[in-house]
Order: sequence, then structure tokens, then C-alpha cells
Amino acid sequence: MANVPGNEFARRPLSSATHVARFSLLGRRAPLAVVGEPRAPTFAERALEHLDELYGLARHLCGNTGDAEDLVQDTYARALAGRFEDGTNLRAWLFRILRNCFIDRARRRNIVLEIPDDQIDAYVPDASAIDQLRYLTAADIMGAIAALPIEFRFVVYLDVEGFTEAEMADILRCPPGTVKSRLSRAKAKLRAALKEAL
Amino acid sequence: MSDEADRLISAALRDHARVAAPPALRAKLERRYLGKRRAWLAPMVSGVVGAVLAAAIVLLVVRPAPHQLDVAEEAVGDHQRVLESRGLGVISTDQHTVKPWFAGKLDFMPQVAFLGDDEFPLEGGDVAVFLGHKAAAFVYGRRLHAITLFVFEASDVPTAERTIRGFHVMTWQAGELGFALVSDVNWGDLRALRQRL
Repeated sequence: MANVPGNEFARRPLSSATHVARFSLLGRRAPLAVVGEPRAPTFAERALEHLDELYGLARHLCGNTGDAEDLVQDTYARALAGRFEDGTNLRAWLFRILRNCFIDRARRRNIVLEIPDDQIDAYVPDASAIDQLRYLTAADIMGAIAALPIEFRFVVYLDVEGFTEAEMADILRCPPGTVKSRLSRAKAKLRAALKEAL
Repeated sequence: MSDEADRLISAALRDHARVAAPPALRAKLERRYLGKRRAWLAPMVSGVVGAVLAAAIVLLVVRPAPHQLDVAEEAVGDHQRVLESRGLGVISTDQHTVKPWFAGKLDFMPQVAFLGDDEFPLEGGDVAVFLGHKAAAFVYGRRLHAITLFVFEASDVPTAERTIRGFHVMTWQAGELGFALVSDVNWGDLRALRQRL
């Protein structure tokens, strides 16, 4: 286990900020270890809490489970061998690493990342089409996302995961205005794709 | 109108865009980074083994696995869509019409031997998107009801029976293909068709 990347994080000292505060009030020093109380999660444990979210994005980017699993494994290998700055956004940091890993893989496989400069269907659904949108299935959504250019899949999924535009801009390394524009165009594309599906 | 459409699409994205990581991937990463051992390395004490087996039986029999949920839920949703929204891609005129129609439309040949009889006439077929992949949908009739059989590429579809929103669903695996049979007919009819497949 000693050679496993990132394993050093498992040996990090326990963070016991809560205990420090409590014992400071009593005029005591913080204990080195508190028997019977839950320990703070290790860095690796905290990182693995985001596995489902990262896998979801990987699945939409790769289009199949095998590549998605490889991409997530690359992401964790890189993240847990890297240096995370305490106090910053761990979740956003992991997504940024996943994006970098994906870009590296995409370049090796000649996957097109650029957003095509095509005309986006300015389709506005009528009342009956809107009614159909109430019954969208998982297959409709998977198909519609799969029809999007790669960069649009990023913003759509990050939006689903509740990231702010500023956080998305940080993950995607682009200005917030670009995120807003991409999200708007991606939604228009989704409307058009779902129109075809319904 | 566009705002309302976006709101509905956003809600559907929140409901359906998330995909849980496969348990095997989670286990692999936990072994690698958290030092968790494989189950078979645990001490083989009889009491522990018994408890593990009991828990496994409860999980497998009483509580449906997540993948089973996905397949059954997907089958019900797609059954409704195939019947109500799009109609059928091919209508059966005789027993040789439907199966050849799928040639070139799928990456695999749907292994379905039963192509209808008087009790369960084959009405037609269609290509459906099932769990994100193309699947064959065979639609059989049963009196005034319809039964859809989805055939799709899969590796671990559980053999199971479930009822979701009034629809009965049977799922199973055969070779490299997964099968899901779904309808609002009674269990007796559904199992009778399953026997013919």
C-alpha cells in the first residue's frame, strides 16, 4: 500500500477543529485523539464522496460505461497523487481534473471538442409539445445529452449538479460570460433534440 | 413558452441525467485508496459467513438491486412511449416481417424465436433507446392490451418480476442480451408469453 499514489493522505493527522473549539472554551488544550468519537474523514474518503457525480459526467462525455470508468479512475489517480489546497472547493477541483483527463484522452483519440459554429434551432415549443415534456424518460434525456457537442455536455451537467456560473467558469477555465452563453445555447440544442425525440 | 419548456427540461435533467457509479468501480477505488479489503479476505468464521449470507439474501430477494430498478423503470417508460407517442416502426403482416426489419438498425441481432400466435399475435416492432443504447422492441397483442418485449445488449440484468405504476415487468439475461417484458396484462398472461419466448 505504501506505493499507492495518494495513500499518504490516509496518514494525514485528524482534523479536530471542533474539538479545539470545545476544549479551548474549557481552558484546555485540544486532545491528540478522542476515543469513541467519530474521526474526521481522510482526504481520499472526502474525494470518493463525489464518485457518483464524477461518474455521471464521465458517462455523458464518453457515451459508454467502460471509457467512463477508465476516465474516473484516471481522475482519482491524478487527484490523489496531486496537491489539493485546503480551504478551496474540493468538488470543483475534482471536476476540473476530470475535465483535464478527458481532454488528454480526447486528444489521443482525435475526439472533436470544439463547438460547431452551426445555427441553433430557435424552436419554441407550443402548448402540446410542452405537455409532452412533462413525461420525459431517462432514455430521452440520455439521448438528448448524447446529441450535444462535448463542451455543451459539460455545462449542462455542471448546471444539473448545481454549480454556479463562476464555479463552472473556474472548472472550464473560461470567462463566466462564456459559460452563460454556452448554457443558453446548450439548452436551445436540448429543446431541439427533445423535439425530435418526442 | 420557452421558459416553461426550459423549466421542464431542467427538472427532467435533474431527475434523469445523474448516473450512479457502478458498484464494482466504487469497490475498486475503495480498495485502492481506502485500503478496504475484498470480501473473501475477511475471516471465514462461520457466524460471520452466516450473517453475510443472510444479508445477501435479504438484499437480493427482498430489496431490488439498483440496476434492476433502472431496467424495470426504463421498460415501463419506454413501453408507454412506444405505444402512445411514436407508433411502431414496422407493422407485422406475417411472421417474417418484423425480425428482418431490424437488420442494419441495431448493432446486434435480437434473439427472439417466438414471432406470435393466436393468443399473442406479434403486432410489430420498433427501435427504442433503452438505458442510453439502441434496443429492439417487439410488440405483442393480448386481447385489447399490448405487451412490449425489449431486447438490448447488457451483461448483468437480474431475473426479476416487478410491478411499477400498474405495469408488470419481467427482466432476465440470456447470453450477452438483456430482456424486459412489460405490460398491463395480468401476471398469468405475461408469464405465458415469457414461456413462449
